[in-house]
Amino acid sequence: MSLAARLREAALEGLQTAFRLAPWPTEPGLRAVGRPDELSPVVVTGNYALTVRRVRRALRGVDAWLVVAPSAGINVWCAAAGGHLGTSQVVSALKTSGVEQRVRHRRAVLPQLCATGVQAREVSRRCGWRTRFGPVYADDLPAYLASGGEKTEAMRRVRFGVRERLEMAASWGAPCSLVVGGLAWLVRPGFVAPLVGLSLALPLLVFTLYDRLPAARRTTFTALAVLGAGALTWAAGGGTAALLSAAGAAGALSWLLTFDYAGSTPVEGGSHFEERAWHVALDLERCQGVYSCWEVCPEACFEKPTAPAGGRPEDRRIRIAHADRCVRCGACIVQCPMDALAFEREDGRRIEPEAIRRYKLNLLGKRSVDAGASSA
Amino acid sequence: MRWLEGAPDRYDAGLRAITLGRVAALHQAVAEAAAAQPGARVLEIGCGTGAVTQRLLARGARVTALDQSPEMLQRARARLGEAAQRVDWLERTAAEIDALPEQAFDAVAISLALSEMSSGERRFVLRQALRLLVPGGRLAVADEVRPRGARGVLFRLLRAPQALLGWLLAGVISHPVADLAGEVREAGFRVSAERRWLAGSLQLVVAQREEDREAR
Repeated sequence: MSLAARLREAALEGLQTAFRLAPWPTEPGLRAVGRPDELSPVVVTGNYALTVRRVRRALRGVDAWLVVAPSAGINVWCAAAGGHLGTSQVVSALKTSGVEQRVRHRRAVLPQLCATGVQAREVSRRCGWRTRFGPVYADDLPAYLASGGEKTEAMRRVRFGVRERLEMAASWGAPCSLVVGGLAWLVRPGFVAPLVGLSLALPLLVFTLYDRLPAARRTTFTALAVLGAGALTWAAGGGTAALLSAAGAAGALSWLLTFDYAGSTPVEGGSHFEERAWHVALDLERCQGVYSCWEVCPEACFEKPTAPAGGRPEDRRIRIAHADRCVRCGACIVQCPMDALAFEREDGRRIEPEAIRRYKLNLLGKRSVDAGASSA
Repeated sequence: MRWLEGAPDRYDAGLRAITLGRVAALHQAVAEAAAAQPGARVLEIGCGTGAVTQRLLARGARVTALDQSPEMLQRARARLGEAAQRVDWLERTAAEIDALPEQAFDAVAISLALSEMSSGERRFVLRQALRLLVPGGRLAVADEVRPRGARGVLFRLLRAPQALLGWLLAGVISHPVADLAGEVREAGFRVSAERRWLAGSLQLVVAQREEDREAR
């Protein structure tokens, strides 16, 4: 790559990371990575520009075909959960991208996080491609492909470490500081710098500390932010107007940032209290030890039995070993060929797999009404 | 992102907003072009909430309506009520029309669906449409297009807030087609009529599959 191309790539990466909450569509279709031939692996992803660039970068040194499926310019996980990246989109991309004319085989690797929306078995039935769910992160693709499809637990799990937290902070900090800074500039240009600082600092605090706060954390966080911003302004010798705008901005931003915290992070069990009342229930009688659930769970909640395979059917059954880690994405329910999994509530209400497959994550509450949650 | 998830609820409102209400005229024109004579077998690709489907039925066509979204199909059925039973509904993506038998339709109607597809999908679907039509069969496609020249500049300015509104209301990101008639011709059709609305930003293209000369 030339220096100019490198600079352009770096600038785009920065811009798209800062504004990653917005859709960044790129043209769906086929991309050659390296020098692929008719036997090279086929990897599928969504048409979110940031992801496509990262997948290509991760695959440097590998010869592969990358099929970019239409996902409305949204990242794989959100698009799959929101109904924008489903079986149809993957089928369409495999059939129309031209990859069928380029390779002799019909095997494709899907991103694991599309499992809430894409039914691997349906893809195969509808267009003849055999698909497997690859790793969660593109960075693990070369190792996954080299091993012939071995997925370690680390490859199956979603991370929310320092890097992911900083990225989320940046992606909220950028639009917030633009809006707050813009408003301040219209009213009192002198306030722009401190308010932009506040708009960058608060997301950083939210995405590093918020999940560690005790109960009533939304009120606690907002109160602390308002008091903190006020105290800092007072210490810096600000007048009443400065004090009011700092406290007001801190309150508004805290409210906004904590509003959909669960939707921006993979550490919480569902966006709403309503959703958290549901849990994944396993019907042991139906389990045949296929382990699709184990393969697609982003929190590694399932454990395979340690008994050797080939024993009695009941020895092959899966176990929900870490229900506390469940984020209620529904991927396990969508993929299970035996319909052995479903959402259930303490009060006996149930959402069947077919409803989850059709309505995706249209909010558990809405789905339970529209899709006719049955009472036991 | 919450507002994207309930999109079908707001699809019609979003569409009306994007097109400043002109969408009804467009639907009617597509139905008139596709259902030229009563009893015509019409395939509608991307039927959405059924606005064109309803008009095709009213003109006496035998309709096969295809959409990839189960929620859209549910809404289309609800809109048509009793008449929904007279339609063959297919829950499939447009790329799967290659499974339908050759020359099975007198007309193919595609309204506001091509702009939601990638260029690869459009090419594939238009070629398949040609295969599905009887010789002399008609294609009626309508969509958002990018007008040329001074109007194009105006269009871009007008479109920015409209596109945002459409995205917020309907969760639909569409990419106006640069050369709708050109893509139709490239797929092997003969274009017979074109119409435009809304400062040229909505276009209907009517085209024919030419009679097979060898067959005569």
